[in-house]
Amino acid sequence: MIDIVLENWSPIVFIVVLLLNVLVAYWLYSMGNPEYKKTKYSGDPFISGNRSPKDVKKLHVAGDNLFWGFKKALKRYYDPLIDGHTGRLNDYMIWVVITLAVVLIYLYLVV
Amino acid sequence: MSWDTVFMIMPYLTVVILLSIGLYAVLFKKNLIKIIMGIAIMQNGTNLFLVSLAYRDGYYAPIFTGAESTEMVMPTPHALTLTSIVIGLATTALLLSFTMMIKKHYNSINTEDMRRCKE
Amino acid sequence: MTLDIIIENSPTFILAIPLLFAFLTAVLGWVSEKIGEILFGIGLALTVFFVGVMSFEVLTAESWFYVFGAESPSPENITSFFRITFIADGFAVLATITISITAVAAGIYSYSFMKDESGLNKFYTLFLLTLAGVNGMVLTGDLFNLFVWFEVTSVASCALIAFKNYRGRSVEAALKYMVLSTVGGLVVLFSIGLLYGQHGVLNYALLREGIAGSFTFLDKLALGLLAVVFAMKASSVPMHMWAPDAYGEAPGSVTPFIAVTSLGSLFVLFRLFFGVFSVGLDVAILGSLLIVLGALSMIVGVSMALVQSDLKRLIAYLSVSQVGYMMTAIGVGLATLRSGEGFGDLAMQGGLFHMLNDGVYKALLFLSAVAVIHTTDIRSLNDLGGLAHKMPYTTFFFLFGALSIAGIPPTSGFSSKLLIYKSVYLYSPILAIIALVVSIITFAIVAKAFFNAFLGPDQSLMKRRISKPMLWGMGILTVVLIVFTLFPNVVVAEIVDPAVEGLIGSLEGGLP
Repeated sequence: MIDIVLENWSPIVFIVVLLLNVLVAYWLYSMGNPEYKKTKYSGDPFISGNRSPKDVKKLHVAGDNLFWGFKKALKRYYDPLIDGHTGRLNDYMIWVVITLAVVLIYLYLVV
Repeated sequence: MSWDTVFMIMPYLTVVILLSIGLYAVLFKKNLIKIIMGIAIMQNGTNLFLVSLAYRDGYYAPIFTGAESTEMVMPTPHALTLTSIVIGLATTALLLSFTMMIKKHYNSINTEDMRRCKE
Repeated sequence: MTLDIIIENSPTFILAIPLLFAFLTAVLGWVSEKIGEILFGIGLALTVFFVGVMSFEVLTAESWFYVFGAESPSPENITSFFRITFIADGFAVLATITISITAVAAGIYSYSFMKDESGLNKFYTLFLLTLAGVNGMVLTGDLFNLFVWFEVTSVASCALIAFKNYRGRSVEAALKYMVLSTVGGLVVLFSIGLLYGQHGVLNYALLREGIAGSFTFLDKLALGLLAVVFAMKASSVPMHMWAPDAYGEAPGSVTPFIAVTSLGSLFVLFRLFFGVFSVGLDVAILGSLLIVLGALSMIVGVSMALVQSDLKRLIAYLSVSQVGYMMTAIGVGLATLRSGEGFGDLAMQGGLFHMLNDGVYKALLFLSAVAVIHTTDIRSLNDLGGLAHKMPYTTFFFLFGALSIAGIPPTSGFSSKLLIYKSVYLYSPILAIIALVVSIITFAIVAKAFFNAFLGPDQSLMKRRISKPMLWGMGILTVVLIVFTLFPNVVVAEIVDPAVEGLIGSLEGGLP
């Protein structure tokens, strides 16, 4: 018989603690001053101190812009990887055959 | 090498040749029709493999004709082969109809041109 | 009395009913599409009912071999070794439950999603055929049956992928998958021939005895061929390239269902490794095969997901990396099988629980992403944004699915990944580090997708509203996922543990 091994982890306790934290956070939030001075720009997104553009499309950071640093830093890893995904049917088959060959050679040598 | 051995090896040799031709077509031919032909050749090779596995020299077909039950061959591989032929027909038909639609949409049946899904 | 008959024959009903209703839907759907729709609903409901019956019997009483063509379908009546058998054990139950949950959600979702298409009775026929095929694949205890269901699944699911045949890309994806599946099917048939020629049997249990007696070079060849084909169908790297195409281009409502057919292949791979081949050679070698393929899948899948801008392809690559988790965990379980190490069972618990989880949250993610694409007609993350203002329910569904796939506590994805980390760390710390890092990158990716599609200012991208049945389809999955989240211990004890025992032991005794 197999033991139940998730003994140190209880999602219900986690959720209860999470809710308590939310309550504390709300309590701290409610202690703040509700009558702050509204200015012309309050409520606008903060873009490094620049004025926020009027066009809503320009306010949103779109897909490919995120993680560009990560992609750039790992360019040498990503370039061959993306080039490998050619979308060519023959290449899909060749990969299957290569894997087959490697697995069979491995089994032949090791077993 | 006696003729008996040759006849015993021949079907398996044919299987190997058929499978190699089919695999070559699937791997290196760019024309979709040729790829599908390669698949069909591989299907035939596999069917031949199963049938030649089932052959026993001097045994009878498994129909109740009066032969001893110990002198009959097992019909399992033949059942396998029949099923495989039927399935092969279905897959080939589906592949060819896909090819027709590719021709309609891309105006080409070259695998180099059907690379709109990539990366 | 009748109840006993229904229970005893439930494995065959699970296959017979979708096949019958597929036929009826095709024929009577010709008269009126409404009839086809109703018949599809009845067929799906009855199939799920019999899955429930079988699961209840297995989980509360005992597992059994179902023998076709005998006087009564119990294993004592097996008079000839070439009778077809089904295995109704914990592992088959886990697989059929995973398939059924996804099928129900996808079926309900399809009712409104596919409304505008023509020829819907054919769609429902193909859906039911795929359901029968994939259920047959995981239930069967016989290699030849496996081949037949494999081909049924391939043909039906490829036709489903190409259902929107006015889109060139759909046909292209289906054609690529079909060529791979057909060649894969031939390889399976060839290796069946090899095994049959060696041992003269096709039944898993009897084949196991044959392999235990003598494990030859040809058996090795058959093992390698079968392993690679089923790993290919399970979209393991480096044979995963069909998966993003197929998942990305399939009609939205059945995308999770196509994904679950590849999970079905993974179930078959595990069944073959544990049930048949584990006696023939050193289990550490078999396990290392799974571990290497799994680790590769995790890394490459998640790396490629990071650079995707198409929402559905992104989730497809994430699902490739999730497959890697399962293969690694089960591989560790296999490598330490019979060695007496406690963490082997732990790894298998984690891996199988993760499969159950993965079927559900992947379906939720796909369906909510499809809801986004359906309402906006935009697939690229570069153009999406601000949808949370107008689609609060879908936002919640996507967020929940995203947190689960990234394994953020307290979701059930975290529970299963915790089991995997714990056990894999004991086997090899490097693997655990890979799994953790991949999990973190997964979180970054889903955070990006969520931010891009749902957050930000409202851009008024909505063209049409999503209908009620689509929300219900996602709602069902969410409810299931909440249950898994809140009671992971119960799920592990009641559903996953019998599956682990079934995977390790059900074929050990063989047929009497």
